[in-house]
Amino acid sequence: MATANTSSTAIATEALDAVFTALEGADIAQALRRSRWGYAAVNGVHILGIALLIGAIVPLNLRSLGLWRGVPRPLLARILVPMAAAGLFLAIAAGLLLFSVRAGDYAGLALFQVKLALIAIGTVAALGYHLRHGWPDGDADALVLRCHAVLSLASWLGALVCGRLLGFVGD
Amino acid sequence: MRHLQAALLALGLVIQGGMALAHHGWAWTTGGNIELTGVITAVNLGNPHGILKVDVEGEEWTVEVGQPWRNERAGLKDGDLAQGVEIRAIGEPSADAADRRLKVEKLYLGDREYILYGDRD
Repeated sequence: MATANTSSTAIATEALDAVFTALEGADIAQALRRSRWGYAAVNGVHILGIALLIGAIVPLNLRSLGLWRGVPRPLLARILVPMAAAGLFLAIAAGLLLFSVRAGDYAGLALFQVKLALIAIGTVAALGYHLRHGWPDGDADALVLRCHAVLSLASWLGALVCGRLLGFVGD
Repeated sequence: MRHLQAALLALGLVIQGGMALAHHGWAWTTGGNIELTGVITAVNLGNPHGILKVDVEGEEWTVEVGQPWRNERAGLKDGDLAQGVEIRAIGEPSADAADRRLKVEKLYLGDREYILYGDRD
């Protein structure tokens, strides 16, 4: 059983490595690796996406946690939920391009893996919430809303911190 | 509170875990320069940083050069930094000596000088 597990893990690792190598070899990845302004532009789009996502989701989550009770939440949600979704889309699209430049290296970093896990948690939580409770605001009761807001804040802010640390942290 | 402590500890452990990529900025270096001479054994140039592996008297060092535009501005051409080439590099080493990692300020191939960061030192 142990051997079967080991070999299937090895096969999965090999398959992933092949995907990363293929990504790094793609024309667009090669062009980005060499280009000055192209790479800077994709970086800029990544940051724009993060800015829209965080800038929209943080105030919405804080509203869910009880701030600005005088402002109707459906009104806020109508603007902030689509903005956050658009930001997430931009950040992921540009992020995939940045990843392709050094796919194998990034994938091997524990910090990068934590970042991806947090993004997955935040995305699944958001999809789950809206599928169950409606779009853009939803009819969840106060407790569910608060729990969702805490999870959402933790995952998006955590992902932001991990992402920023990627460029700066040494052994 | 306990959960927060556990989360911070976990993040700390993750950060300690092996980091293979190059770094922005100089916060991770010692602040003082050293000089290395060795033979390039592997080359991975391009954004966001170029990375060389250099054999320095049997020890493998990771030598971080610039992005393509910085290397080009210094006068480096495609193929200058290649496997088998002898390089003399001056720059700041990682504050963690076991890391054997150098961020280059200037380098020499033969007698020719290439300055990546001219405004430092």
